[in-house]
Amino acid sequence: MFRYQSLEDCPLDEEDEAFQTLGEEDEDIDQFNDDTFGAGAIDDDWQVAHERLAELEERPATAGEQADGAVSDEMDLLGDHEENLAERLSKLVIDNELEDPAIMQAVHTQPLVQTGGLNPSIWDGPAVLRRIRGPLLTQEVPSVSVLEYALPQRPPQAREEERDLSERALPRRSSSPVIGSPPVRAVPIGTPPKQPTVPNFNQQILCPKPVHIRAPIQQRYPSPYSERMSPNQLCNVTNSSLLGHPFPPSVTPVLTHLQRAQLLGGAQAGRMSPSQFARVSGLVSSPLASMNSKLIPGRVGQMISPASGFRAFFGAPPTQQHSPCPGSHLQNLRPQMFRPDTTHLHPQHRRLLHQRQQQNRNQHRNLNGSTGDRAGHRSSHQEQQRKDPYANLMLQREKDWVSKIQMMQLQSTDPYLDDFYYQNYFQKLEKLSAAEEMHGDGPKKERTKLITPQVAKLEHAYKPVQFEGSLGKLTVSSVNNPRKMIDAVVTLRSEDDETKEKQVRDKRRQTLFTIEKMYSLLLDVEDYERRYLLSLEGERLALMEERKQKICDMFDNLRGKTPSQERLSDDHFVQIMCIRKGKRLVARILPFLSTEQAADIVMATARNLPFLIKKDAQDEVLPCLLRPFSLVLYHLPLGTVTNLLQQLGNLPQSATAPAPANLHLTAVLQNKFGLSLLYLILSRGEELQCSDTNTELMQDNQWTELMFMATRELLRIPQTALAKPVSTPSNLVSLFSRYVDRQNLNVLETKLQLVQGIR
Amino acid sequence: MNYMPGTASLIQDIDKKHLVLLRDGRTLIGYLRSIDQFANLVLHQTVERIHVGKKYGDIPRGIFVVRGENVVLLGEIDLEKESDTPLQQVSIEEILEEQRVEQQAKQESEKLKVQALKERGLSIPRADTLDEY
Repeated sequence: MFRYQSLEDCPLDEEDEAFQTLGEEDEDIDQFNDDTFGAGAIDDDWQVAHERLAELEERPATAGEQADGAVSDEMDLLGDHEENLAERLSKLVIDNELEDPAIMQAVHTQPLVQTGGLNPSIWDGPAVLRRIRGPLLTQEVPSVSVLEYALPQRPPQAREEERDLSERALPRRSSSPVIGSPPVRAVPIGTPPKQPTVPNFNQQILCPKPVHIRAPIQQRYPSPYSERMSPNQLCNVTNSSLLGHPFPPSVTPVLTHLQRAQLLGGAQAGRMSPSQFARVSGLVSSPLASMNSKLIPGRVGQMISPASGFRAFFGAPPTQQHSPCPGSHLQNLRPQMFRPDTTHLHPQHRRLLHQRQQQNRNQHRNLNGSTGDRAGHRSSHQEQQRKDPYANLMLQREKDWVSKIQMMQLQSTDPYLDDFYYQNYFQKLEKLSAAEEMHGDGPKKERTKLITPQVAKLEHAYKPVQFEGSLGKLTVSSVNNPRKMIDAVVTLRSEDDETKEKQVRDKRRQTLFTIEKMYSLLLDVEDYERRYLLSLEGERLALMEERKQKICDMFDNLRGKTPSQERLSDDHFVQIMCIRKGKRLVARILPFLSTEQAADIVMATARNLPFLIKKDAQDEVLPCLLRPFSLVLYHLPLGTVTNLLQQLGNLPQSATAPAPANLHLTAVLQNKFGLSLLYLILSRGEELQCSDTNTELMQDNQWTELMFMATRELLRIPQTALAKPVSTPSNLVSLFSRYVDRQNLNVLETKLQLVQGIR
Repeated sequence: MNYMPGTASLIQDIDKKHLVLLRDGRTLIGYLRSIDQFANLVLHQTVERIHVGKKYGDIPRGIFVVRGENVVLLGEIDLEKESDTPLQQVSIEEILEEQRVEQQAKQESEKLKVQALKERGLSIPRADTLDEY
C-alpha cells in the first residue's frame, strides 16, 4: 500500500530525476545485455518501444474519460472499448519489433501496468466501481466469471477488504527488477474506467448467482487462468467448480481447458519468463492479492500478446490474430473453447476430458442452451482450423531468435582459421561445381551458401570483476567472454631443452620431430598465399621475405643442414624419406623450393633410391613423388639431368668398363617408382638433346654413354622382373632407336609395349 | 532464415513427432514443441517407449523437458509408417515386467562373466565407473 501510494503521488519533476538516474543505470544494463547476448542479440532499444507504447496509452485514456458520461448504453460502451483494446493490441503487436523474446515478453507485459485504460481503473477503488456498477445493476446483466470460483472463500460483501488487498497487491512497478525500465507515468486515480470488463469483475462479486450469462465477456477470463495460474490454483478452480457450484455453461469449456493445461503439466509456466515471475509474484504478499495481481496482468498480457498466448493455446491461426476487429478475434476463440480438439491428446487425458465434457454438457442443458447453440453453429468452422492446436507454441520470432543465436556463434573474423574444415569443404564443393559447369552438362545448380553477417572485429577487453581483499575472481561468462574451462599456462620449451632431450631420444624420434616441425613450417608457407592476398601493399615485401626465409628453413631441415656443417650427408634426408609422412612431406615441399634446392633433393633421392625402395616396400608412397619430380625435371638443364641419370645408375665416373651387372640400376628398374623416374629422366634428357643442338660435346658424350648403359640394363633385365611404370613417355621408342640396333629395338619395344598392355 | 548448408536445424523439426533417445537409454516419443540453442527440448504428449524383444509398451509422460546434453539421438517419426511395425504393443504392466525380467537376466549373465573373468585373474572395469568421465 505504501509503495503504491508513494509512487502514485510522486510529483512529476521527481519522477524525471528518477528517470535520469535510471537512464544511466540502463546504459550499464544495456552494456550488460550486450555482454551476455552479444551485440546483435538485442538490436532494438526497448525504451523506444516503451515510449511508443506509452503514447498509445495516452490517447485511449482521454477517450475513455469522454465516454464516461455516456454510459447509458452499456452495449455500445462495451463494443467501443473492445475495439479500442483490439486496436491497441494489434498496434502493439505490429509495432513492436523487438528481437529478444525475453525483452519482448517484458515489453509486452509492461503495458498492463501503464495501460491506463485497463489497470489503474481496476484498482481505483469504490468511487469508480460505484459509478459503473449503477447502470450494470439496473440492467440486470450480471455475469459470472471463473474468477469467482477461484476465490470462493471471499465474502461477496467484503468490498473494503478487497480493495485494500488489491491496492497493496498492485504492482505499480517503478523499475523492473530484471530489465530496469523506468517508472511508468501512471494515470491519476479516479480516471474513469475505459474497460468494460472492470464493472463485470466487480459485478460478479456482488452477484454470485448468475441469472444471465454474457458469453463474450466471459471469454476474456479463461486465458489468464490457463496461462498464469499455478497448478494448485488450477486445482482449486477445477475442484471447487466441479464439486460444489452449479456450473454456468459458458465457463465450463474454460475449465476443460484448464484441466487440460493442468494435466499437461505446466507448459504454461514454462512460457512465463523469469522476469514476469519476479514482477508478478515477487511483489505481492498476501496469497489472495497475489492471485488478483496474477490474474489481471495475466489477462492483459495475454490480450496484448495474443500471438503468444491465445494462438498457442487455442490454436487460432496466426493471421487472424492481427485482424483489427476484436469481434472476430473472440469469435474465433469461442468455438474452440467449446469443442476442444482432443484427437492429439493422450488417451488418458482424452478420457478425463471427455468425462468432464459430459458433466458440463449436462449442466449446460439444465441452465442455458443458447450459448451451446451458438457454439454448435461454429463447430464446422473449428474443424477447418489446424489439427494440432498446440502447434506454433514457439513463435516465429522465437525461432528466429534461436537461429540468430546459433548463427551468431558462426560469426568469425577469420573464418579460415576458426572453421578451417568447413571452409575447405566448401572450397572443394565450389571447385567441383565449377568443373561441372566447365563440362557444360546440366543447368547451373545454385548451392545454398552460408552468409554470416560480417562483424567488425570488436576489441573487447574483458576485465573480470575483482573486489579488494577477495580471493579468486568473479567469473562472468558471455558470448564475448566465454567461461574459461582451463586456465592453463602455456610454456614453450626452449630449443635447448629439445636438443638436450634429443640426445637421449633415439634417432627415429628425432626424425619424427623434424618432420613435425617441417610440417608446421610448410603449413605456414602454404598460408602465405592467402595472407599475401589479404595484406596491404606495404606489408607484401616483408611477407615475401618471411616466406623465403621459411622455405630456406624447410630445406635446411630437410637436408639436416647446420651452419657449422659444410659437407652435406644424405643420412638425415634418407632418414626422413624412410618415413611415410616424410615422403609425403617432401612431395609437398618440393614445389616451393628453388630449382637448385629441388635438384639437390631429387639427386639425393636418386642416389639413395635402392635403399629407399627397400624401405618403401610396405608403404608404397614413393610414387607420390613422381609428379613433383617431373615438374622439377622440366626446369633442369641437360647437365643436371645427365648428373641425375648418373646418380640413378650409381656410376662413380663415366662407365667405360661394362659392369657385369649394375645392381643399383637393376633395383631401380624393378620398382615402379624407379622405372617411372628413369623414363622421365630419359625422356626429358632426350627432349633437351633434340631441342638444343649446341650442347657441349663433353656433355653430349656423357649422355650418350649413360643412355647406352641404361638401354643395356633394360635389355638385360628379364621382362618379368620389370616393374610397371606409372606412365610411359611417348618419345621413348624414338629415343631408344638412336642407341640400339633394329633387333634390340624390337625387343625393347615389345617389352615396353607389353608393359603398357598389362597396365 | 538461412541455415548452414549441410546441417540441419531443429527449428524445422518443431511440431513434428519425434523419437528422442536419452543418454540414460530411455526412449521418448512426443511432439517437439520448443527448442533453444542448446538443443534443450520440450516434448509434448510424450510417451516413454520400452522395447523388450518384439514387444513394446508406452508409458505416458506428458510434457517432457529434456536438457540438451542428454540427447543422444533425435529423429522425426513418419506418421504414415508409424503403425507399420512388426512389434507388438502390450500394456504398461506387462512391458515393465518384461523389462524387469530382461534386466535381471542381463545382470545375471554379467555376474557370471565377471566371475569367470575373476577366476582367470582378469577384471573388467565397471560400467558405472566409466560413466563418470
